[in-house]
Amino acid sequence: MFVVVFTMCVCKASVWAEPSPVSEGQPSEIPQEEKTPVINKANEDGELKHTVSAGQSDNTRKEDATPADTTQEEEEPINNDVKEEPPLVKDPLQPYNRAIFTFNDKAYHYFIKPIYTGYNSMIPEKARVSVRNFFTNIKMPVRFFNCLFQGEFKGAGTEFARFVINSTVGVAGFFDPAKSKFHLEKQERDFGQTLAKHKMNSGVYIVWPFLGPSTVRDTVGLAGDAALNPLGWISYFFLTPLEGFGNYSYDTVNDLSIDKGTTYENITKPAIDPYIALQDAYVQNRIKKIKE
Amino acid sequence: MNYRKITSALCIGMLSLAVTSPLLWAGEPGKLLMETIDKGFAILKDPSLKGDEKVQERRQKLWEEISPIFNFEEMSKRALGQHWKGRTPEEKKEFVVLFTNIMKDAYIGKTDTYSGEKVVIVSEKQDKKYATVQTKIITNKGTEISVDYNMLNNPAGCTIYDVIIEGVSLVNNYRSQFNNILIKSSYQELIQKIKAKQS
Repeated sequence: MFVVVFTMCVCKASVWAEPSPVSEGQPSEIPQEEKTPVINKANEDGELKHTVSAGQSDNTRKEDATPADTTQEEEEPINNDVKEEPPLVKDPLQPYNRAIFTFNDKAYHYFIKPIYTGYNSMIPEKARVSVRNFFTNIKMPVRFFNCLFQGEFKGAGTEFARFVINSTVGVAGFFDPAKSKFHLEKQERDFGQTLAKHKMNSGVYIVWPFLGPSTVRDTVGLAGDAALNPLGWISYFFLTPLEGFGNYSYDTVNDLSIDKGTTYENITKPAIDPYIALQDAYVQNRIKKIKE
Repeated sequence: MNYRKITSALCIGMLSLAVTSPLLWAGEPGKLLMETIDKGFAILKDPSLKGDEKVQERRQKLWEEISPIFNFEEMSKRALGQHWKGRTPEEKKEFVVLFTNIMKDAYIGKTDTYSGEKVVIVSEKQDKKYATVQTKIITNKGTEISVDYNMLNNPAGCTIYDVIIEGVSLVNNYRSQFNNILIKSSYQELIQKIKAKQS
């Protein structure tokens, strides 16, 4: 019994004791005693805040660098210049992007949202989740191959097992017993991540009509995923372009109706500058997904 | 023989308890956070506060329960980033009030659609000054949303200074917005924009 308790304590202690990863260029061997007075002083007049902020932006700008815990970032040099804090992503196309963002936002509120609200009132949520499961199951090759491309062989195995289970026990993918019964989690892997893992830079920020926020890298990623997506192949060989588009739109609207629409509104509605809020949320979320 | 059986049973019992009950091994910040979340859920589940006509009363009660764990001054400082330092004490005070209102308006209304979501602690770390509690929200559709709470570890108790939802830090999101406005215009114009939003 004591062995068990002891092991637990050791495990826990080791988690805490583990130093957080420190990003490049940061002094990592500064004794704690020296740090403390500096921090306290900084804290009083608020300087720590922007040292932390500068550190985070600097870290995220590298994108693929190891995440530096905020607790480790007090050592960043203090700077007072507004323009020295680098943005998360370069946005030279901002005037164009803002125009497309406004168009998308209007399209969402006046065209797409009414469609999915009507769809919501007709189709119960359970059925919509089943439809999502079905589309998710069909798109398995996208995740499977990207797992392989990223060297995640275990993930690829998980995706393969999920496909077998959900296509059979899950009645052609409408249900997700692989997750609920076998605890096999979906592996969210896309080609944009694959490119990032192979050291491609994110490039400039782009907003596409209807598709929304993206970067150069993620746009190439979208094309890659489209090539891996069986829905694209089915459309190409068996359906007219209009039917193929219909399929794609249905998948998208269904997704929006479950939670993506709410997510979009949660980000843009409380924002002071919705364009920047969405851009920042997109980039931060992508960085997390690439790190995973 | 009997002793061995009893010991092994105890072992298994303790192990399963340790694995199944996150609260059991949750330390101070995690415990505090879960207590606050539970208080919030209790209000949302309270039958006497249900219904559309009770919206304001419910939101108010919820705000009273959960706002003490947030450190709005620290959030405001971080959201304003390097621009905080140049502010006068009055401006700072005003900004904290405005930023608190942004948070309140934005997020307390979201609880109206509460439909049995659960919160579990994934992990927690703490040192002398900071603590991070990683949690996930499990919706009734089975989707999992990762939510991390960054806290200041004060002797008086931990306070949240940032919430990170699916990798998106709330404070960083607002800092990006404020910075973008402040590069092009003055601090007064930023305040005007926030006030316009709230009126």
